Amino acid sequence: MTGLKTEFPADWHDRWREAHQRIDHAGYGELVASAYRKCGPVLAGRVGPDFAVRLGRTVSTVAIKSGRRAALVLIEAAWEISGLATDSAQTRSWLDAVDSVARQAPDALSAMLSNTTRIVRELGFDGFQTFVRMGLALSLDDRGRRRAFFALESGEARQALEYRSGSQSLSEKIPQLKHYYTALWGFSPPVAAAPADAPEPMRRRAGFGGGGIRLPVAFAGFTDTDQKALYRAALAHIGAHHRYSREKFAAKGLKPLQIALVSLIEDARVERLATAAMPGLQSLWGRFHIARAEGAPIAINLMARLSRALNDPSYSDSHGWVEKGCSLFSEAMSTDITDQLLSRRIGGLLGNDLGQMRLQFDAKTYVVQPAYRDDNLALWDFGEEQENAIEIEAMAEGARIDKRDEADGRREEGAGEEEKAGKLSEARPDEGVIVARYHEYDYVTGSLRPNWCTVREVSGKLASEKSLAALRDSRSDVVERITALINASRVSRQERTRRQPEGEFLDTDAAISAMIAFRNGEAPDTRIYGRYERRSRDMSVLVLIDASYSTNDLVREGGKSVLSTEKLAGAFLARAMAGLGDPFAMAAFCSDTREDVRYLRIKDFQSPFNDYSLARLAGLEGALSTRLGAVIRHAGQEIAGQSTYRRLVLVITDGEPSDVDVEDKRFLVEDARAAVHELNREGIDVFGVLLDSEAESYASRIFGKRNSVLIGSAEKLPEALPLIYLRLAR
Amino acid sequence: MTQTRRGADAANPLADFMITSEPYFRPVGREIELYEAAYKARMPIMLKGPTGCGKTRFVEHMAWRLGKPLITVSCHEDMTASDLVGRYLLDAGGTVWHDGPLTLAVRYGAICYLDEIVEARQDTTVVIHSLTDDRRILPLEKKNEVVRAHPDFQVVISYNPGYQSVLKDLKESTKQRFGAIAFSYPSSNVEAEIVMREAGVDRRVADTLVRIAERSRNLRGQGLEEGASTRMLVNAGLLVAGGIPIEEASQVAMVVPITDDPDLREALTGAIAACI
Repeated sequence: MTGLKTEFPADWHDRWREAHQRIDHAGYGELVASAYRKCGPVLAGRVGPDFAVRLGRTVSTVAIKSGRRAALVLIEAAWEISGLATDSAQTRSWLDAVDSVARQAPDALSAMLSNTTRIVRELGFDGFQTFVRMGLALSLDDRGRRRAFFALESGEARQALEYRSGSQSLSEKIPQLKHYYTALWGFSPPVAAAPADAPEPMRRRAGFGGGGIRLPVAFAGFTDTDQKALYRAALAHIGAHHRYSREKFAAKGLKPLQIALVSLIEDARVERLATAAMPGLQSLWGRFHIARAEGAPIAINLMARLSRALNDPSYSDSHGWVEKGCSLFSEAMSTDITDQLLSRRIGGLLGNDLGQMRLQFDAKTYVVQPAYRDDNLALWDFGEEQENAIEIEAMAEGARIDKRDEADGRREEGAGEEEKAGKLSEARPDEGVIVARYHEYDYVTGSLRPNWCTVREVSGKLASEKSLAALRDSRSDVVERITALINASRVSRQERTRRQPEGEFLDTDAAISAMIAFRNGEAPDTRIYGRYERRSRDMSVLVLIDASYSTNDLVREGGKSVLSTEKLAGAFLARAMAGLGDPFAMAAFCSDTREDVRYLRIKDFQSPFNDYSLARLAGLEGALSTRLGAVIRHAGQEIAGQSTYRRLVLVITDGEPSDVDVEDKRFLVEDARAAVHELNREGIDVFGVLLDSEAESYASRIFGKRNSVLIGSAEKLPEALPLIYLRLAR
Repeated sequence: MTQTRRGADAANPLADFMITSEPYFRPVGREIELYEAAYKARMPIMLKGPTGCGKTRFVEHMAWRLGKPLITVSCHEDMTASDLVGRYLLDAGGTVWHDGPLTLAVRYGAICYLDEIVEARQDTTVVIHSLTDDRRILPLEKKNEVVRAHPDFQVVISYNPGYQSVLKDLKESTKQRFGAIAFSYPSSNVEAEIVMREAGVDRRVADTLVRIAERSRNLRGQGLEEGASTRMLVNAGLLVAGGIPIEEASQVAMVVPITDDPDLREALTGAIAACI
């Protein structure tokens, strides 16, 4: 009981005694009880008595849910955390987070507690809370995955940690790196992060093959600035392989050491060729060659020295083997540098020499040096045992499920536009193609979860001729009214009109010619004013149709389902806009957890609206859930390419976002609202057309009161439209 | 650039528009022969090609070579037909007719060069129709006059296919009146030669700049509307000649002007470093 008097204020004595006695008598074992008794006063001194007392309750929860060991770890962690906290709100939030993990994921608690200091150090207390919420939301029934997350073993966890710690994560760098690669080499293969479950060596070094480039999520042990240069160096190097390594080497009959050496020489050869075209690459690569002519003469050391000697002409190394490598190389260079077989020859010779020197080489632990170089797997043809080649899980960027015209006007499924470099690994058609990942907004912590939602493009079903005809031919009077409404609306930049009978400024040219006519004795034209007005409609529209399960509910009026009303409204709009020639696109969406947000294209901006699009619209079925935020973000990407004056995303929905992996109803509402705001910041308007049904509607929260309208049936659409166009004509 | 101005001469109203010293032009293909043959027939000519590849310089060079005056009009959206043809203006004594640049060229026999013609509205460009078929006349409605084209008169327009959009395209009836010469960026060797000559830099600098331009042209359609043009290269070369380090000069002349996307800028910066 040392320190009791000094650490706890007098009015806390009783509460502290009560707290530690409860632990003493609860039967968690003497170890836990004494640790708590010893720790309490110190914690009280550091961050206040309430923390020490409150910790008691959490210790009980943890001991019951996750066992005594975990309780012990908790006390240790609390000790460390108390050193990091600056105020009591932080420690309180930390305990709350521990409580929630103990209740919802007791099996992952120990792992989380032992990493808690690291997470708090990197992300801060707010970040810690976000991190914990991410882990708990990961997957409600996949325990292994959750545990891996809290143990910081999964790729997602690592990504979250990196994303938070201020430095740019790889996924943010990729667009820039792709441009860099394209600028250098003139074509753009897909670039992606190495999958989190790839074998260790592949996560440490870049690689290529299968038409794409894989980059490690981070290069361990390098600073931020170095990372950036490393990624560039890696891409420059891989590009050099793409350009100059024409054929694969046959690995058959070669020892691992020989393979490594042939690769090393080939690396040097392509770099030499690339440097001739782009001399600046020499210094980009050179800064990572740091081997020096010293140290133990073991194989990997000598190889690093040879690499440097081949890269850096000013480097001198007196080791016989390195010298021999250099002279063989420069000799071969001077005869024919484009001969790829020289690498094979020299590498083989050098391999024999190293073998005779009886130097150790452990192929299992070998990683290519320097760090920017790729793992060279793509250089080799391993024959039958091709297990090394893993597929790159690259996002099918720009790829889409495309339809081509057939002679009879119907179209056939075809593969998307592939990048020049080669085919991506295509997913099975029913799974769709992964086209993008988006963050999600967590309103509780007010922060973003990076790369949280995966959007797939799926191909939908085609409806029968009959239901199609119903959409095609129904109510042309409504279509006509909509057409007239849209046609009358003026959404464009203001233009200057001249020669007006009245207006806000004097049209000088008209005034002069009036004066001239006057002096010539003719009757002058009195239209000498000009004004600014919107004369045309310069707007593109993307219509999003909610095809989730809740759209099977009935609309309050008329007894039709929400989905069939949506289809009808969509068809009306599409027919009107197609008739007017306005640029528009249409897509439907639904979702099944954050990993499977489905986006179904009905019509693209470039393609015509024909029976085929109608058949897809008519073929929609209400299934699964509504993850609105991710879909709105994807729609934003889609419409961002349009260069019209205004861009509008029109969401036709029942107004209730939900998904099976989210329990908190408000969560997806707030995320969708955040997504709408993101689009608004890009200058894209988002408008909600709500169908009045049994489903609970959060429309005004998501879209804002002014940007959503409620309609009872598709026929009422003409009444809602003027509102939308009026808002846009600001 | 090489056009020198002397006082307007009443006897020869086009004296100001004569080009007196040779504008440098490095032919890449047979464009000079083609143009000369077209001029012999007074055939209207359209120069197509990306921005900054030497279209305007070519016309200047040809005007000098043929010894004909050159009247250049930069077209813009607000341009009206009377901006081309002419208008009545007021002066102290009453109203005076002023010939527009096109009428001037038609009356006295000059090459009339309409730069970036797609920028002008389509209803403006139709005024050249009567000049670009066998009639070769220009009616001035307001003045009740028909100007018959001087035998030396020729129309040349320039046109950047990269800007093509539904809104900004020539009418089919306009297009079909012209013969066209296509321009593109010259091969790297020739381009380096041009940069050396125009910017006064040495071969090594010119080669580096050309390499950088190739990198930026690789990004065309991948985020950049157009890669760095020959004109930009010359600008960068001029900065280098003025003592600016090549890396900085490239930034100023070839990166910052063409993109505001931070990712692209970064990528280009990296590509520049790779070339130096």
